[in-house]
Amino acid sequence: MSLEQWALLIALTTSVLCALCGCLLMVKKQAMVSEGLSHAVLPGLVIAFLILRDYSSPWLILGAGLSGLVMIWLSSLIEKTRLVDPDAALGLVFSAMFSFGIVIVSLNLRNTHFHADCIIDGNLALAPLDRLKWGGRDWGPTSFYVVLLMLTLVSGFIALCYKELKLMLFDESMAWQFELRPKLLHLAWLCLVSFTIVVAFEVAGSILIVALMIAPPTAAYLHADRLSHLLAGSVLVALVSTLGGFYWAKSLDIAPTGPIASCAGLVFLLMLCFAPKRGLLSYWWKRQQMRQTVLQSLVLTHIANQTLGELMELSRKSLESSVIRPQQLNQLLAQLAQQGLAINQQDQWELTAQGQQTLTQNQQRLGLEA
Amino acid sequence: MFELLFTDYTTQIVVVGSAMIGAVTGMLGCFAYLRKQSLAGDVVSHATLLGIVVAFWLNWLVTGSGSKSLVVIIPGAIIAGLASLLLTRLITTTTRIKPDAGLGVMLAIFFGSGLLMLRWVQRAQPPISGSAGLENYLFGMAAAMTITDLWMIGLLGGSALLTLLLCWTQLKVLTFDAEFARSLGLPAHRIETLLLALFVVSIVIGLQIVGVILMIAMLVAPAAAARQWTQKLGPMVWIAGGIGSVTAAIGALVSANQNHLPTGPVIVLLSTIVVGGSVLFAPARGILWRQKHVS
Repeated sequence: MSLEQWALLIALTTSVLCALCGCLLMVKKQAMVSEGLSHAVLPGLVIAFLILRDYSSPWLILGAGLSGLVMIWLSSLIEKTRLVDPDAALGLVFSAMFSFGIVIVSLNLRNTHFHADCIIDGNLALAPLDRLKWGGRDWGPTSFYVVLLMLTLVSGFIALCYKELKLMLFDESMAWQFELRPKLLHLAWLCLVSFTIVVAFEVAGSILIVALMIAPPTAAYLHADRLSHLLAGSVLVALVSTLGGFYWAKSLDIAPTGPIASCAGLVFLLMLCFAPKRGLLSYWWKRQQMRQTVLQSLVLTHIANQTLGELMELSRKSLESSVIRPQQLNQLLAQLAQQGLAINQQDQWELTAQGQQTLTQNQQRLGLEA
Repeated sequence: MFELLFTDYTTQIVVVGSAMIGAVTGMLGCFAYLRKQSLAGDVVSHATLLGIVVAFWLNWLVTGSGSKSLVVIIPGAIIAGLASLLLTRLITTTTRIKPDAGLGVMLAIFFGSGLLMLRWVQRAQPPISGSAGLENYLFGMAAAMTITDLWMIGLLGGSALLTLLLCWTQLKVLTFDAEFARSLGLPAHRIETLLLALFVVSIVIGLQIVGVILMIAMLVAPAAAARQWTQKLGPMVWIAGGIGSVTAAIGALVSANQNHLPTGPVIVLLSTIVVGGSVLFAPARGILWRQKHVS
């Protein structure tokens, strides 16, 4: 395979890995924790590199992952004192750790792998160059196997603890009752997320991991109603946006991080507008339908109570604030007559049997007393 | 390091400008902190990157020269910041997406496309003059400040603080008890919008010195520190302003003297130390005080 194909393969695997991690974070309402973790791994990575001076050492990954866990520990420590608002505590800890990393980089490592651009853009172009050589054969880029290993771990964890995770996410008190130790499970999960972020650093840099983790699940969440559908949907979104972003970046000749994130954002925006059940369009359409039903029932009720004249009077008097404008009322009456729900007999409106039935149905639908 | 402060004109501008910026963001940050909008601040500041780059590019299209003057950059940043906030609000009110996921997605959309535009503008053929320094907005570069920027910041920050002073009571009531504000018959919706605007302005002002990525600390750290020392909003705002301006000025001075050291991280580390100190030592609230008196 060519270097470019390997790079694409690494990007795709990473995005699937991130999307899986992101699903559970999003459902747990901890989306912004991934933002914090992605900043906080930097000092660990940099310090480990300062000591070892070796890019491919596995200790780098360990150091970075631990530094992510330190962030979680520190922010929960501050949270426990109740002196600082929890959101602010998270923000303060991760920005301080990130700053620390950046200061070390700009003082000591300016001309290395870690200069500021790499931290932001990632380094996908260089990822396929570091090869795994074993038994005299070239097996492909090392980073691909690292990501694959992480993906196996994460999907294995999800598959093994699927029931327990579900209970932890949706009903924590029940998980406590079953003695499933949701806190421990959650901590294990955060460990995996922390190491995932380190592994994904190569593709996504430090800032846009949030895009890979949160955008696909949120897009899928606009349609999915089950955890399994959510997982599958977000993997699909991640694959599509990575594929699109990769070739977009190639045509612009820039690092693929920004384009991949933009594509994920674009997919989200499309879902937001057009998702069949929960998109903005269907939301607007449902509201329109509801409005129509309410107005129809209003007029039908007034006809049934023989108070249509009063409604007309009211609508004529208060032009601005009334529920229904006179013109609209006349239109609606004509419509009702056409549908055979009401008839006009010598300037007197009456309900037909069918109209009576519709009214009862509407009232039931709107939750009103008949 | 300090003799430059008295002799070098550029250093003077940078230090005075940073102190001004620090004071304004510190003071306005108190409201963001009390309204629990810290993470929203993070997202808004990331989102402004798109506005900055697009404003730069549009200005280049119209005038033919690349200008990074704040007069060009700030309107773009404000529009992008407000757009991200309003879009988050739309998403969380009309769909079932939770606020934090909404914020995460906004980060993907705005910062992702901002980074895309930034790299694309920097790669453009023929090259756009001045595009090389655009990435200074990522981590902040106080040393790049000019006297025109100083005026722009002064004008914007001054009018924000004046608004704060004029609407003090209303803003205070809405910050602490929105329901009560509504029951008093205050135009809550309008004050809310005003607070949003102040929020975005305070972020945009600070971008020059700390950059889009670390702006959250500049906004929240002085407020979190000041909160430890007082129980009243008035003193809190003053203390936060003081902490903000001192840390920003020192940070700018350090970074101006050390080549290649971006300003943002230095300021953030300084203000984090202040927060840590306040949490430990503040009377009546601090951890040490509590250990001594409550046991």
